Amino acid sequence: MRISHGQWARHLGLAALLALPAMAYAQSDDAAAPADPWGEEAWDEEADWGEDPWATESSGWQLYGFLEGATAARIHNDPAVNEDYTLNELRGQLEAERVLGEQTLRVKGDLWADGVEDGLRGDLREANLSGRLSERIDYEIGRQILTWGTGDLVFLNDLFPKDYVSFFSGRDDEYLKAPVDALKLSFFGDVNLDLVWLPRANPNRFITGERLSYFSAEAGRRVAAPPEIDPDDRDDWLDDSEWAMRLYQTIRGTEYAAYAFHGFDKQPSGLDPVSNRPLFPRLSSLGASIRRPIGAGVGNLEAAYYHGQDSAGTDPNRPNDQWRLLAGFEHEAATDLTLGWQYYLEWTQDHDALIANTPSAQRPFAVDEYRHLLTNRITYQMLRQDLTLTLMTFYSPSDQDYYLRPRAQYRFNDRLIGTLGGNLFGGEDDWTFHTQLEDNSNLYARIRYNF
Amino acid sequence: MKTIRQMLLAVLLTALLPPMAFAQLTDASEIVGKANIAAYYAGDDGRSAARMLIMDANGNRQQRQFTLLRQDVEDGGDQRYLVVFSRPADIRGTVFRVEKQVGRDDDRWLYLPALDLVKRIAAGDKRTSFVGSHFFYEDISGRALEEDNHTLIETTDEHYLIESTPKDPDTVEFASFRTWIDRETMLPMRSEYARASGEVYRRMEVTEVETIDGYPTGTEVRMADLDSGGYTITQFRFSEYDIGLPDRIFSERSLRNPPREWLQRN
Repeated sequence: MRISHGQWARHLGLAALLALPAMAYAQSDDAAAPADPWGEEAWDEEADWGEDPWATESSGWQLYGFLEGATAARIHNDPAVNEDYTLNELRGQLEAERVLGEQTLRVKGDLWADGVEDGLRGDLREANLSGRLSERIDYEIGRQILTWGTGDLVFLNDLFPKDYVSFFSGRDDEYLKAPVDALKLSFFGDVNLDLVWLPRANPNRFITGERLSYFSAEAGRRVAAPPEIDPDDRDDWLDDSEWAMRLYQTIRGTEYAAYAFHGFDKQPSGLDPVSNRPLFPRLSSLGASIRRPIGAGVGNLEAAYYHGQDSAGTDPNRPNDQWRLLAGFEHEAATDLTLGWQYYLEWTQDHDALIANTPSAQRPFAVDEYRHLLTNRITYQMLRQDLTLTLMTFYSPSDQDYYLRPRAQYRFNDRLIGTLGGNLFGGEDDWTFHTQLEDNSNLYARIRYNF
Repeated sequence: MKTIRQMLLAVLLTALLPPMAFAQLTDASEIVGKANIAAYYAGDDGRSAARMLIMDANGNRQQRQFTLLRQDVEDGGDQRYLVVFSRPADIRGTVFRVEKQVGRDDDRWLYLPALDLVKRIAAGDKRTSFVGSHFFYEDISGRALEEDNHTLIETTDEHYLIESTPKDPDTVEFASFRTWIDRETMLPMRSEYARASGEVYRRMEVTEVETIDGYPTGTEVRMADLDSGGYTITQFRFSEYDIGLPDRIFSERSLRNPPREWLQRN
């Protein structure tokens, strides 16, 4: 959807940062117009509660959306990328919802002028029909966002696609979850069951080198596009379908869940030795989680076993099987101050075989048998929740690397929200998960006008 | 003859005197117990549309609109809540579920639709802002009676005046609070929170009462922060009681797919 190449888009994000607040304040003057059921004049009048999408039978389409300007400047010069920004865009999102009895039709799409990739881009985030099939069955069909599991920004049994490019480059958290085309059936009874069928594989929006640089084991250094990583896609309808399942129930405040997934790795972690092209190997997983109050906080445990196509660990072009384990605890340490702690382990099976079969030049870059990750989240709310300060820290003692996500979010009013933050990576060795992203470290500013 | 006249006089007087629904109560814990039931446990369950106007000290306005479903497990005891937000745009679709448990921490969940994320919320200080308003979480779901010592300090024609002091002063921001409870409806009509110096810094006032399905209901409540001058007005409309909410709607299912049949106003 490129409409032009050039410099024009480069300053869009910044221009929007300046223009949106002015628009918002102009709008708040308009809010006094009695035509607005949510406006100032309307407050005292009984009749002006307006159409409530939950409480009233709405007629026709309800429209919502936002305009957002966002810019994220790199704090290092990245020798692999000829670009000072990881993000520079003016984005609009429009959501249309229509309630038809027990069913809801929803379409939600983004359109943005992208100053980093130079062009006009679009993304259909939702286009689905959802509702109640019977007293005990719900469904959702079409493009949708799906999430489950107990981790905080750490995913074990949630093998729905993530958009790490958006996440690392400075976009809002909501963009971490990429949409899927799926049919979801939910059965409710003594045990609840979610069954999801994805008629073709839905990989992560992984780092291709276009916006963010990464470490290439082949090249032995950090690289970026060109060439972009261009894996062999799993995009044949039906042939490349995926299944995901969750069984769950809450019993006296304790949430139990079991998960299964059969599909493909979300990252292009395999390599076709003939064509030398990355590919998405088969992946099946089984797992379980539990979440409940512990003392004055909430604790969670989650485990998953990833079974790929290299159970013996002898194929260097396919990832080995892995156990993944997570333990977390979140508590309010003081009024309005919440702390979250997580320990996460990736335990690679048959690690000796992996090392023995990895070409010696690439051996130093191979994963450790145990990758330990610690996370901490500090959230502090001030000014009656208008200001939220957050710092999420990822630290791996085995990789000796880190990732910091500081953020300050201010709610000017119901329409205007401003965010300042950063994505800061670093560590010892160029090839580890977070250190490879070091040169993409950025500080961002976003301003969003909701309507 | 004389007796009949006296009887007639008695009947007339009874008819002309203002109705006294309750005999005068003298026991503070009985009064706060009845007030707690009147304010938070009307009927066995209920539905209400609510909206908040939040005014900060600088005159900046924010609003919230939500529908509230409530089910009592036991009168004066455990309750279930489902709060479904419809405005403003960025909060629309957010659903808050609470299992209120007397004597231990509530279980709380929050659903964020943009991420399809069900978040479990750690038990926390209940005296912090509810959705950015001047009301505290505890003002919405009720403060446990056993956390304070209650004293009846005055009985007027209209009100019982109760003074409450916390058993554990370190857990709250107030030194004491006074509540004016309507003698007829038993609704708390005003509460004033004071510092140790006696200075009142926070005031709740019920500014509108309607009798709905036989239950007197505060339909407009104002909470003022007297330090900053900011305040929040909450209005309740389309309230109904004893609608027969089933247990099963207070579940994870309702977070992702709110029960429209029960949210709909009649």
